[in-house]
Amino acid sequence: MRTRRHPRQFLADRWAVAGGVVVAGFLLVAATASALTAVEGQDPYTYHLDALDDTGRPVGFGGGISGTHWFGVEPLTGRDLFAIVTHGAQTSLTVGLAATVIAMLIGVLVGVTAGFFGGWYDRLVSRAIDVLYGFPYLVFMIALGAVVSAKFPRTWLVVLVIGAFGWPTVARVVRGQTLALKHRTFVVASTAMGAGPGHVLVRQILPHLGVTIIVYTTILIPGLIGVEAALSFLGVGVPAPTPSWGRSIGEGVGWVQTDPMFLVFPGGALFAITLAFNLLGDGLRDLLDPRSVRRRPEAGARP
Amino acid sequence: MSRRPSLSVAAVAVAAALALTACNANSDSDTAGQSTTSSTQKGGELTILTSSSTVTLDPAKSSNLAITTLGLFNRRLTSWEIEPGKTAQAVPDLATDTGTPSDDGKTWTYHLKSGLKFSDGSPITSQDVKYGVERSFAPELSGGLGYHKSLLEDGEKYQGPYTDGDLDSIETPDDTTIVFHLNVSYGDWPWIVSMPAFSPVPKSADAKPQEYGQHPVSSGPYQVDSYKEGSTLSLSRNPNWDQSTDEVRTAGPDKITFQLGQDDTVAAQKLIADSGDDKNAFQASFVPPAQLSQIQSNADAKSRLVTSDAGALAYLAINVKHKPLDDLKVRQALEYAVDKKAFQIAVGGSIGGEPATTLITPGIAGRQDYDLYPAGESGDVDKAKQLLADAGNPKLSLTLLVESDPVEVLKAQAIQQGLKRAGIEVTIKSEESDAWYADVTSDKGDYDLALASWQPDFPSANGNIQPLFASSEIGGGGFNLSRYSEPEVDDLIQQASAATDPAQAEKLWAQADKRILQDAPVVPLLFKKNSFLHGSNVQNFFVTPFPAYPNYLKVSLSK
Repeated sequence: MRTRRHPRQFLADRWAVAGGVVVAGFLLVAATASALTAVEGQDPYTYHLDALDDTGRPVGFGGGISGTHWFGVEPLTGRDLFAIVTHGAQTSLTVGLAATVIAMLIGVLVGVTAGFFGGWYDRLVSRAIDVLYGFPYLVFMIALGAVVSAKFPRTWLVVLVIGAFGWPTVARVVRGQTLALKHRTFVVASTAMGAGPGHVLVRQILPHLGVTIIVYTTILIPGLIGVEAALSFLGVGVPAPTPSWGRSIGEGVGWVQTDPMFLVFPGGALFAITLAFNLLGDGLRDLLDPRSVRRRPEAGARP
Repeated sequence: MSRRPSLSVAAVAVAAALALTACNANSDSDTAGQSTTSSTQKGGELTILTSSSTVTLDPAKSSNLAITTLGLFNRRLTSWEIEPGKTAQAVPDLATDTGTPSDDGKTWTYHLKSGLKFSDGSPITSQDVKYGVERSFAPELSGGLGYHKSLLEDGEKYQGPYTDGDLDSIETPDDTTIVFHLNVSYGDWPWIVSMPAFSPVPKSADAKPQEYGQHPVSSGPYQVDSYKEGSTLSLSRNPNWDQSTDEVRTAGPDKITFQLGQDDTVAAQKLIADSGDDKNAFQASFVPPAQLSQIQSNADAKSRLVTSDAGALAYLAINVKHKPLDDLKVRQALEYAVDKKAFQIAVGGSIGGEPATTLITPGIAGRQDYDLYPAGESGDVDKAKQLLADAGNPKLSLTLLVESDPVEVLKAQAIQQGLKRAGIEVTIKSEESDAWYADVTSDKGDYDLALASWQPDFPSANGNIQPLFASSEIGGGGFNLSRYSEPEVDDLIQQASAATDPAQAEKLWAQADKRILQDAPVVPLLFKKNSFLHGSNVQNFFVTPFPAYPNYLKVSLSK
């Protein structure tokens, strides 16, 4: 039976709350990145060669951490690492959220129609989903990078590609839900009373998918942020010099022995944000999705 | 070798006797590139780590230096004597000498040593050498060093032995004699016959030309055991090679394995750690800047790092065919706006190279030092803005085409931020290296700027200037990335190639160098230093000013 849960229950899940707070924090940092770095007196593009020694290694403790460079500077360029990490949050969240919106829109649209109409359309869509699952999108992205004109804003190309490959999971889940809902009494009754497919889809089925959509959105976001980081790590994501955690991590790997902080800051940020989104998503699912009730052993129920 | 592109068929236009003495590296340079020299010990298994995922094993398609991979199993008529502290020299390999020219310098005769055998035991004859050269003309086997193709008589029209039969300008009067007839007098010919196309190929093994590279027949001390693209290339001893006929190869290790497609950072870390089999390995790719920095504070690794003198020119090519870069003032503004200091730091600081202001690389005879655009190491932004104002302040939003390698992208960003100071917007477009190479050498030339570096294929100013600035090298696979075409410069190149007196030739090349930079088709950035790292058991590993790469033919292992 469906049980109504209270927000209080969500607040009781301390991990989910912590995740929510971290996510909110990152959203705030991303929104105010320029203001924050202005306070520091830096920006993510200006070179500071005077902060480096002759081999391009940052001078001073922890990769040049100081009052002027709060996280130190980037090796070989001397760009301010705090500015790079905060603006990188902007990049990651923009790409992650925008790609999620695209993926959810396509996924829900495809899933709900496939589940509802069935027949050859459903079979076609299901096979297309199977193909997309196995599609080597990394190779595709690299190839696209060489073909698409340099004038096309690369960040939005990344958004489009990630979004275009992120929807199959959503579509599959939504299709399954729709298939189940289609045979529920209220839908059957509505159809029997003469409601057209448009009405049934929008009024009867979609509202019942709301929870699924919200939960899958929060779970999809960290995954897609990770994909962006992976693409940038491989050098085919957002173009330099636009700050990106993935690219900084890719460069930081080489410096792990000489300047570990260059890896720690962007790596830590990526770790924190994906973990936070996952915790938040888990918490929301526990709260909203009746079928994934976490089976906590009740008192006295222990064997 | 990475970013050491090969040349097109029309690489050498017209050239005449350039005496060998004209082409050389610093004889008085110190032994900076030297690490260890000792007598060669035999045995052991050498590993070579490289980031390249493929090796072109077909000599006709290869642009290898004489002293690297293919030199281990393909002997040529001549080879290079590369020793620490000595200048590079062309020396006999299969031939008994470096060639006997006729009085007019147009006919070169070579005699093969006796007792030469292929790995299958059959004798190496002059016909095999001739056949090897002929097949390099075949269009399906293009991509190799092609200086000889326009120098040999009738070479322009010849399409290889598969369709056109024999090439009449190569004669083989008997099994040990081969005669080349050239269009022009050409003093650098002994260098040309050290290139991969001049290694013998038995006709019987070449039934399927496209597949010959899978199982090449060896003439050197090693033979190809197996080649797996992206994984390994294994070489073992060739029992039919005779040390007494070969003065350039010492053939120390019993086995040589190339590990292909290795990440440069990981490979460098393995060699810094120097444990287990990595003691018997060296890295054929350059050590990345991050590891160079790391090695500076690691005395053990530092003793195993070998850095060349300043050599290959890294430069920013400006596409002079694109508006508004067709305006000289705009290009001059770029010369002043570029931040060479940031570029140098991006490759690891002074160990990565020395700032450049000229085109001919250090170590080449006749080079003159000058600076047409004195701007200090970080550039002169005011002067650049002034020049742009003179040009009417055109809107500058330029595309910079680079390879997608992290070091290249970092270099591109150093250029980008330098130009930005003068209000010039640059968009970086990075491409996989094959795509990059195809785009910059295509006829279309759809880019404003490109980052490249150039290492001459043989030690003469000819190899610095002609391939990069002759109008015959624009598009169609040529490496004139600036698409620069100036009749006066073409004329100078022709005169310099034809000059018979080395002093005269040197003077003309130096003049061409300066004349070209007056038009600012490129911004010279850095004379690069190449750094290589080897394991503690690797001996006889050294890098000389030319060619600034290790001599694979002499490397050996200690027991």
